[in-house]
Amino acid sequence: MGLFGSLEISASALTAERVRMDVTAENLANAQTTSGPNGEAYRRKVVLLGQVPEDGGGFQTALRGAMGSRGGQVEVVAIAEDAGPPRRVYDPSHPSADAQGYVEMPNVNPVTEMVDLITASRAYEANVTAMQTAKHMFAKTLELLR
Amino acid sequence: MQLFDVTQVALERAIGGAAMRHEAIAGNIANANTPGFVPTDVDFHEALASALGERGASVEEVRGELESATFEAGPDGTVRMRADGSGFDIDAQAAQLAANGLEYEALVSIAKGRVDILKAAIGVR
Repeated sequence: MGLFGSLEISASALTAERVRMDVTAENLANAQTTSGPNGEAYRRKVVLLGQVPEDGGGFQTALRGAMGSRGGQVEVVAIAEDAGPPRRVYDPSHPSADAQGYVEMPNVNPVTEMVDLITASRAYEANVTAMQTAKHMFAKTLELLR
Repeated sequence: MQLFDVTQVALERAIGGAAMRHEAIAGNIANANTPGFVPTDVDFHEALASALGERGASVEEVRGELESATFEAGPDGTVRMRADGSGFDIDAQAAQLAANGLEYEALVSIAKGRVDILKAAIGVR
């Protein structure tokens, strides 16, 4: 059934965009974290999105195929670390400062994070609109029974 | 003589096509941030037009053509791929989503109107 499939696709995107927002929030929250669990400065995290393969195997895929859905869902493939170098700030009195008096700050740029946040938010809204359209279409079909 | 005429069959197929197209557009919007994603579209208008457009075909032949017409989601030929490997255009997709939703509602309204006429003729309330 086409409309349920499209609701599922939009729902997968809502989940993915929510993960993007979570990770952006984590990056912003740790913008000043100089000593993480490994003792080093926090590294910015990046969400990698990918299309759910149509022939991935497994029960869900078989069920989707049987129901005639073509699978265009999106999923979070990985949450990777940004390879950018840490920002070095001169602050000799800082407890984490090295011999030269430099502190390694996280490679988080708040402006980039805000842009990512807005992108994720707008993408979320677009998917909600797609869901609402599907809902309207569905309601219209049910009118046939009246 | 069949209860539902060829137009009703065509409407049914078009409703199915519009539902499929909605799924394709929803998939495009869901993958807005997926690198390398190629947007897809379902051209059910073309498939139905060729089924309905055969000159000199009998009503039964047209009905058969309509029932056997298949729609498939294929890559959207109208999009231009950008340098980052994605061809996603939110404006175009949002417009298509709205247009397709309206078309679906229009098709369902017409189908319902035709069923209502049948009901009136039969005397069902």
